[in-house]
Amino acid sequence: MRSTRLATFIMFVIVIASIAAPLLADAQTPKRGGTLRVSYGNEIANLDFHTAPGYEMMWVAMNVGCSLTNITPDGKFVGDAAESWTTSSDGLLYTFKLRKNVLFHDGTPVDAAAVKFNIDRMKDPATKSGMRPFYEPVHSVEVLDPQTVQVRLKHPYVFFLHMLSAYRTGLILLSPQSIQKFNVEDRKQGKPGSIVGCGPFKFVEWVKGSHLLMERFDKYFEPGLPYLDKVIVRVIKDPITEMAAFKNGEIDFIASFSPEHVDTMKAQNPKAQIMTGKETTPMMAAMKVTIPKDNKPMSPDRAPHPIFGDLRVRKAIGCYGIDRQEIVKIAFKGQATPWVGMAPPGTLESVNVNHLCPYDQAKAKALLTEAGYGPSKPLTFELMANTEKSVFNVIATVVKDQLARLGFVHANIKVVDKVSWMNTTLGDGPWDMYIEDLLSLITIDSNGYLASAYVSDKSSAWSHPRHTDIKVDEYFSRYAKELDTTKRKALAKEFLEYMATNMYWNTISGSPFYMVAQPWMKGYTYNAEFEVHYDKVWLDK
Amino acid sequence: MRVYFLKRLIEIVPTVLMITLVVFVMMRSIPGDPVVALLGDAYTQEDAIKVRQEYGLDKPILWQYFIWLGKLAQGDWGASILTGRPVLQDVLIRLPVTLELIVLSMAVALAIAIPAAIIGAVRRNTWADYTATTVAMVGVSIPEFFIGVLLLLAFSIGMSGLLPSSGWVYLPGTCPSVVCAAGLFGNAQHVLMPAFALGVGRAALLTRLLRASMLEVIRTEYVTTARAKGLAERPIVFKHALKNALIPTVTVMGLQVGFLIGGAIVIETLFAMPGLGTFGIDAIIARDYQQVQGFALITAIAFVVINLVVDLTYTFLDPRIRYTG
Repeated sequence: MRSTRLATFIMFVIVIASIAAPLLADAQTPKRGGTLRVSYGNEIANLDFHTAPGYEMMWVAMNVGCSLTNITPDGKFVGDAAESWTTSSDGLLYTFKLRKNVLFHDGTPVDAAAVKFNIDRMKDPATKSGMRPFYEPVHSVEVLDPQTVQVRLKHPYVFFLHMLSAYRTGLILLSPQSIQKFNVEDRKQGKPGSIVGCGPFKFVEWVKGSHLLMERFDKYFEPGLPYLDKVIVRVIKDPITEMAAFKNGEIDFIASFSPEHVDTMKAQNPKAQIMTGKETTPMMAAMKVTIPKDNKPMSPDRAPHPIFGDLRVRKAIGCYGIDRQEIVKIAFKGQATPWVGMAPPGTLESVNVNHLCPYDQAKAKALLTEAGYGPSKPLTFELMANTEKSVFNVIATVVKDQLARLGFVHANIKVVDKVSWMNTTLGDGPWDMYIEDLLSLITIDSNGYLASAYVSDKSSAWSHPRHTDIKVDEYFSRYAKELDTTKRKALAKEFLEYMATNMYWNTISGSPFYMVAQPWMKGYTYNAEFEVHYDKVWLDK
Repeated sequence: MRVYFLKRLIEIVPTVLMITLVVFVMMRSIPGDPVVALLGDAYTQEDAIKVRQEYGLDKPILWQYFIWLGKLAQGDWGASILTGRPVLQDVLIRLPVTLELIVLSMAVALAIAIPAAIIGAVRRNTWADYTATTVAMVGVSIPEFFIGVLLLLAFSIGMSGLLPSSGWVYLPGTCPSVVCAAGLFGNAQHVLMPAFALGVGRAALLTRLLRASMLEVIRTEYVTTARAKGLAERPIVFKHALKNALIPTVTVMGLQVGFLIGGAIVIETLFAMPGLGTFGIDAIIARDYQQVQGFALITAIAFVVINLVVDLTYTFLDPRIRYTG
């Protein structure tokens, strides 16, 4: 009797398993078709991928364009248009073997000549690409045969593949034919035929304020990919509307979700996939170190900033006067890491130098007294925040309050819109301190053109503090050239300590980044802002 | 009448020009420069100077205005500095969305205001009157965006997502792009909450105004005479009182168009609608001068034309009104 029952039970299990197994397997088998509906919180600036600013443009570029290589979340390089690559032992020669079947969307081949064309274009000052400083180490690009391209560097550049893969958009390969046929104005507005990449999706149309549409490229080199028929991008600026649209099933994916609404999102959508990872964006309280001596904006002739030109004041305010723990607790509900180093905790080879700047009101007061400030001569400065993210204003308020506790420091908050902030900071205008999170840093090196000395040939207008310490540039240069990992890590530590000690770059914390996907969106690999690819995404509806 | 109409049409030209001049000068006077946003990562002082020259931004403001005017006379509204897109094309794509929103929000306002005002006036000092007056007061006090958020919470997040929270479905035949949704039902679903959010505030204002006018008209001798003649209450209210009471309301309705355009900016942003409101605010934030001019021009034209239509409506409401040259 017992054995009969057991046999029946076993039979039952086998039958259930035989029915369920294919269903389970089917649930994991990617399905072709469907439209992925993506929401962006900001409008796309324009579609000239090699010059346009903003992550929104980059996330389109990464799907319309292909690159030589990509980077995985654990930092491994994988081939994209390049099948394989080799690096010479001296680190000066990179030879890329291209896949044979890679086509641009206009049918022309992605060959060595096309790669050379694109790299040369990035190096050309006339292109006005913000990425140009990172191509400075490139000496020449040589076409060895139609499938082989060789890049010769002037000096070793350890992060060359990082740069090609993930600095801004990485190297986005565009059809030389389309580049020559259309002008930059055509590409900016997305004129039909002007944006021709080699990625999994073809650009179809962009109706500013309404949507951007991409369609599957049937001749994409990865067999069977992409799974989706279309990707449609809409801009929903209000986070409450964005959450309502998500809950309502009107959108499948939120490409950048505001951290302050994460808890609400979780409560409203328990099945939503809320993705986050390493903190790679620094939240800063930047201080201006120099001003133009001759009052001409962007002048290389510099004088110390009347307040923060004094290292003692920078250290008193930026280092000891700010309680980073408290800021994180209030502004990020504890969901970020208090951080002092120029490179945030998620950046490659970043080092924790928090011990250099403990919250210490007594030290801050002593330094300010030494610098001549006190109750009889209070320190007053302007603390600028822009309206792009509400968290900037929250942080500015907390910083103001913390500094007021010193007794004689008054930070006057000035809230401006993003364009005014950009005008003031990029144009070397008058400002004292601002709160911003600028950009994500995959490596310490990727901060090169933001943190380098203003008077050097490597700096850019984005080098906002405009310090003039060439030693920083030497650090960047030595660091990026150092092939020995152990030595490079030691150098990174020394470098980050130097930046913190001199307060050229005042980080408060990491800035958390979130993406949200519907439970039916499958196959997406989270890699922060660096790699947003929809080629393997499928909809399990 | 014809002479009056022509005179008013001619008057539109200097009015619109004055508005565009004021906007032109103001936009260039506030801090911010579109060149910075345009150059972005690649910003250098040298390039900024070159780009300013390229777009004529280095010339005196009035000179820039006359250049813009000259092009406008040839039908060229200019192109966006940031995206390179022709401004007229973008305006024409977005205009129908905002027009529909404004017309429907005004319809919502009237649909609420007329019955509420009639009830308030006819049944003065009753609970119905107090209710209508209180609701009107509340309606005036609540900002549009807050009503919009409440509607989102109620109908999109709640009620199993009865109404879509964002986006737009075009009216059949008005689709401006290769791929876009179009359909009468979908359009109605998408416009309902924005129109209601925008219309409620106006409804409250119109209710109070119309109720006051109605009370005034109801007390006039010809209404008393009509009642004395034994005319039924319904024709007295609708045919004699309401029609006359509507004249000041119609005037205010015309003036309210300006507020509706302002409100549309907020509502379109909240509901992520591809209308002129979002176009305008994006342009202002980005300091995209050409787009701001396009936005100012179209809203100025809309405002003066609608007010002209309002003035002409008086003759239909009160045949005694005659316009002479």
